[in-house]
Amino acid sequence: MTFDWLVVWNNIGALLDGVKVTIFLAVATMAIAVPGGILLAVMRISGIRVLSAIATAFTELFRNVPLILVIYMAYYELPVMSGLSASPLVTGLIALSLNVSAYNGETFRAGIASIRKSQSEAAYALGMSPWQAFRIVVLPQAIKRVLPVLASTWISLFKDTSLVSVISVGELSYAATRVRAQTFRVLEVLTAMAAIYWVLGYPQAKLVDWINHRWGRAE
Amino acid sequence: MTTASETSQRKAQGTTPVVSYSGVIKRFGAVTVLTGVSMEVRKGEVVCLIGPSGSGKSTLLRCTNGLERIDGGEILLDGQLLPSDGKGLRLMRRRMGMVFQNFELFPHKTALENVVVGPVTVLGISRDEAVERATALLAKVGLSDRAGNYPSQLSGGQQQRVAIARALAMEPEVMLFDEPTSALDPETVGEVLAVMKRLAEEGMTMLVVTHEMAFARRVSDWVVVMDKGAIIEQGPPQQIYDAPQVARTKEFLSHLGWAG
Repeated sequence: MTFDWLVVWNNIGALLDGVKVTIFLAVATMAIAVPGGILLAVMRISGIRVLSAIATAFTELFRNVPLILVIYMAYYELPVMSGLSASPLVTGLIALSLNVSAYNGETFRAGIASIRKSQSEAAYALGMSPWQAFRIVVLPQAIKRVLPVLASTWISLFKDTSLVSVISVGELSYAATRVRAQTFRVLEVLTAMAAIYWVLGYPQAKLVDWINHRWGRAE
Repeated sequence: MTTASETSQRKAQGTTPVVSYSGVIKRFGAVTVLTGVSMEVRKGEVVCLIGPSGSGKSTLLRCTNGLERIDGGEILLDGQLLPSDGKGLRLMRRRMGMVFQNFELFPHKTALENVVVGPVTVLGISRDEAVERATALLAKVGLSDRAGNYPSQLSGGQQQRVAIARALAMEPEVMLFDEPTSALDPETVGEVLAVMKRLAEEGMTMLVVTHEMAFARRVSDWVVVMDKGAIIEQGPPQQIYDAPQVARTKEFLSHLGWAG
């Protein structure tokens, strides 16, 4: 068996374009799913039954349906149901955001619940409103506490962005698949793809370890 | 419970009490923890609430600023009824400072920021003014050099002194202390009691739940003894500690090894 690694080098431009899209998707999804997760958590603990029910339904739907199915549904059903058509990139971003928001919502809810009640009481004793106590005292502590979990979610998300290749979003997996189809060099391209994901992912995983070490300990 | 001669010894005679409780009832489920408590805290007074664990002292204190909602009776601040919740309650709370047993400083904020946050967010005063006020208060509790430290970098006694400064920053009419030294190492109890004593000498109205009998004996103007959700005796410290009128008071004090 002979290898032709030149194939990878000759197509490096296409692969790097894919990397750019992968990074964009991961960053944009997190930028939506962090506020989205906080919003879901706030809705669930609001004590307002309608809001809480909506947030629960959302969370349980998108946490328990395979992500790839959410991507297909966003691609095929969303335009029909909403009457709007979005590009594959935006559609993929929506699907990823729905999924990660659901996870982040649970993460933030657990983080908020872990802050002891007496912290809110100290805020109330100063005369703060429930919203001020939440925003100024509880949420910052909760975010700090769930940072390691958010970091793990980020790592999963970074790899899961590959799933949107099924709707032809030009991220790394899709770019690699096209190179593979044009050159028939399956092993070389798959190996290159794995290497690129690993090179990108490993420093992030190390960073997560560091975050765990730095902030993961109890107060 | 209180004879006329004892009453006449109290401070601020004839003025509206800063805090007044009448027939306060509090239940937790089927358990009645306050069975109709009536008492007063007068301007400039240091009132100590003592009694065995579970007697309702802390609950009464927590009802005072609405952290616990009462099930009967009423609590007045300067003659105004304490609302059970909402904006009205918040307006009353900012007039009362509270110090917790476990300090409850905000761990993500420095000592200075802990003292600054109340005045800025609740009273709406400018940040510069709040920082100036907080700096002066940290100096007052002897922690000028700790302004930039986070609570986790401070000893228990230092944390509690920051908590006192945080409460004072709201310029309250009355300070509520909920067993402020119970969670402290013995060697840091003194520094917190010293700060409280100085506050008392400056004329701050204080309601203190405490097991520090020596402090109550020396610093308080009025001592209230609670047992099983009721006040069993109250009077000036000389009476409570030297000549208790109620057998249960005597018994409680002797359990603590108080020999007068």
